[in-house]
Amino acid sequence: MTATQERQDMKAASEPRTINLITAVTEALHEEMERDSRVVLFGQDVGARGGVFMATAGLQATFGKERVFDTPLSEASIVGAAVGMAVRGLRPVAEIQFADYMGPGFDQIISQAAKMRYRSGGQYSAPLVIRTPSGGGVKGGHHHSQSPESYYTHTPGLKVVMPSTPYDAKGLLKAAIRGEDPVIFFEPKRLYRASKGEVPGHDYTVKIGEAAVRREGSDLSLIGYGGVMPDLERAADALETEGVSVEVIDLRSLVPWDRELVVDSVQKTGRAVLVSEAPRISNFMGEVAYAIQDAAFDSLLAPIGQVAGFDIPYPYVQDKIYLPGPNRITAACVQALNY
Amino acid sequence: MTPAQINPTPPVEALPTPEIQPFTAEPIRYVAEDGLPIHTLPAAYTPERLRELHGVMLRAREFDRKLITLLRQGRTTFYAQSSGMEATQVGLAHSIRPGHDWVWPYYRDHTLALALGVPMFELISQVLGSNSDPSRGRQMPHHFAARKQHFVSISSSIANQVPPATGTAMAQKYLGTDEITVCTFGDGATSEGDWHAGMNMAGAMAAPCLFVCENNQWAISTNLRGQTASENIHIKAKAYGMPGFYVDGNDIVAVMEVCTHAAEWVRAGNGPALVECLTYRVGSHSNADADAEKHYRTREEVQEWLGRDPVVRVEKLLEHLGHPIESRERADMIAAVHRDVDEQVIRAEATGQPDWRIMFEDVYSDMPAHLREEAAMLRAEQEGERK
Ligand SMILES: Cc1ncc(C[n+]2csc(CCOP(=O)(O)OP(=O)(O)O)c2C)c(N)n1
Repeated sequence: MTATQERQDMKAASEPRTINLITAVTEALHEEMERDSRVVLFGQDVGARGGVFMATAGLQATFGKERVFDTPLSEASIVGAAVGMAVRGLRPVAEIQFADYMGPGFDQIISQAAKMRYRSGGQYSAPLVIRTPSGGGVKGGHHHSQSPESYYTHTPGLKVVMPSTPYDAKGLLKAAIRGEDPVIFFEPKRLYRASKGEVPGHDYTVKIGEAAVRREGSDLSLIGYGGVMPDLERAADALETEGVSVEVIDLRSLVPWDRELVVDSVQKTGRAVLVSEAPRISNFMGEVAYAIQDAAFDSLLAPIGQVAGFDIPYPYVQDKIYLPGPNRITAACVQALNY
Repeated sequence: MTPAQINPTPPVEALPTPEIQPFTAEPIRYVAEDGLPIHTLPAAYTPERLRELHGVMLRAREFDRKLITLLRQGRTTFYAQSSGMEATQVGLAHSIRPGHDWVWPYYRDHTLALALGVPMFELISQVLGSNSDPSRGRQMPHHFAARKQHFVSISSSIANQVPPATGTAMAQKYLGTDEITVCTFGDGATSEGDWHAGMNMAGAMAAPCLFVCENNQWAISTNLRGQTASENIHIKAKAYGMPGFYVDGNDIVAVMEVCTHAAEWVRAGNGPALVECLTYRVGSHSNADADAEKHYRTREEVQEWLGRDPVVRVEKLLEHLGHPIESRERADMIAAVHRDVDEQVIRAEATGQPDWRIMFEDVYSDMPAHLREEAAMLRAEQEGERK
């Protein structure tokens, strides 16, 4: 490559581009594998096929079967092996085909990955990433639509991340791979192709644990993460045409989570509505609500509103009605505003 | 091959029963790929009987074909064919007493269900998620349950039916019934921890459970070699203290003979057994990977297995026996299934979709207060929207 060519390439590489969320995931994996030979990628169907959603398409062709490979159909072995590799110095990124299928690997996640650093007094650690599509809206019935994040946020030692934009997906995944801790990386599958946005042409990461303010507002803080984010935006649009100023916050990561940004926002607006599609009981947003009332009680002008999934196994036929769409979100906001 | 060359001893009778099997490298086969018998066919396989079996298999094949069309028309969202596996599932069905023995199936078992007498209308209703679906539109297409046939509800999570199947068998033993449990799964499922845990427990508890591996050689894009370094699946039975049988899953006679033999062994109180049926999934894994040939397997391999088509094998056998199925007759049979499916689709669609109100039912045996509140909330929302 000539020097001019190289400069031209670098220039091209520094132009921001608009891509969708799944491409952002693929690019993050590609770039991290290029950057660090310790990064290996495996799971079911990730090789020749490129993953059921094609998130790993082309990576085996580029990096070879040693670094991108299919495993037997065993989540316990996939997660357990990732733990062992991480202990021995690799940077494993494992794909679990659907978040609903982490069950067989659950014990390895909570007993091994999460506790390795603590129980060894810091002598060992398990810096691994488990990527998995989660959430509903794709007519998958309960085994392909659940939002199991609370099982994992309840386990100390794990970081839990869920992006909603291509920018965040790429930056957070890179941060997860470069970090020193086990990360459960949920990818909202209904946004894989629906969420499009700009990513920079240069290398960047997004810090795990920082929320993003999607739009600023003064009357109400509307807080969510993952697959529901476009609905929050729609609800905010609808309210804005009625003259209500809504602050929209995307948590992006649940453990650790951005308590400070949320509390500051609610102190400013006086109202909070929390949205997620997971069932309400033991929903992570219960934690957020507790933190708000603990730190911003005096600022609250209305009870904290919550919009969640119903406490039923995710139904197949009523797929759409199950999800907290813009109408349900708007209604919760109106209730808080009229209190 | 002339009949004189046929081995007069049926292999199943040669199998030692009470002790652990000597493992076979070649699957047990009665009828060769060209339709000629390799062993004397047991007397029960009269031409009439073979025609009957052929009819069930062809019906299942055409059912698959029609449902793929339905999918293409956007009238359902998911379908996983069992084309190519008809002999395995129809053959297995004949060792099960419907409504007496219990079945813990997996999602590709709709041919087994049809063969056990689950009405086509129920299957179609489930695939469409219509009001006539006995599972009330709760699960993905063809993840169904059929209580009358003791066909337990299908979970999508691979291999997690195996420990419960062992439990059902333990209950049967405890209750002193003469029922057995039949548990099916694909080759991929045998990699899961649940599979090993369930097999081991069944062996240790001498549970009357017949485990049947429908080895169609692919788990989405991973073939058997990528799944396990062991030669085949049935030899794993030895580790769990049960006999393991290996059968040509595209030979309906062999599947029936071996499964019946194994089921009887289980029924006699000897503990569990494992049957591995070597077969092939001709189509893609599901509509989600219609590009199988492009990504992970060769056209040659598929062609080779198409040459071992279990439905065609019975047709060749019947021809050899002097009772051919005329092409006109075959076409009429196919047309009849297509008409049947069309009619039942219309009938099922006419029942409408399950009301959203039933979403909150069946979560618990009685509806707790929090679900009543959620249902009321949704009702207000829905009625508000309708105004
Ligand atoms: C625990 C779990 N992990 C992953 C999946 C995704 N998945 C669905 S079917 C399948 C392949 C199963 O192959 P096999 O058991 O051989 O059955 P086949 O579909 O070939 O009949 C996989 C990986 C799942 N359903 N459950």
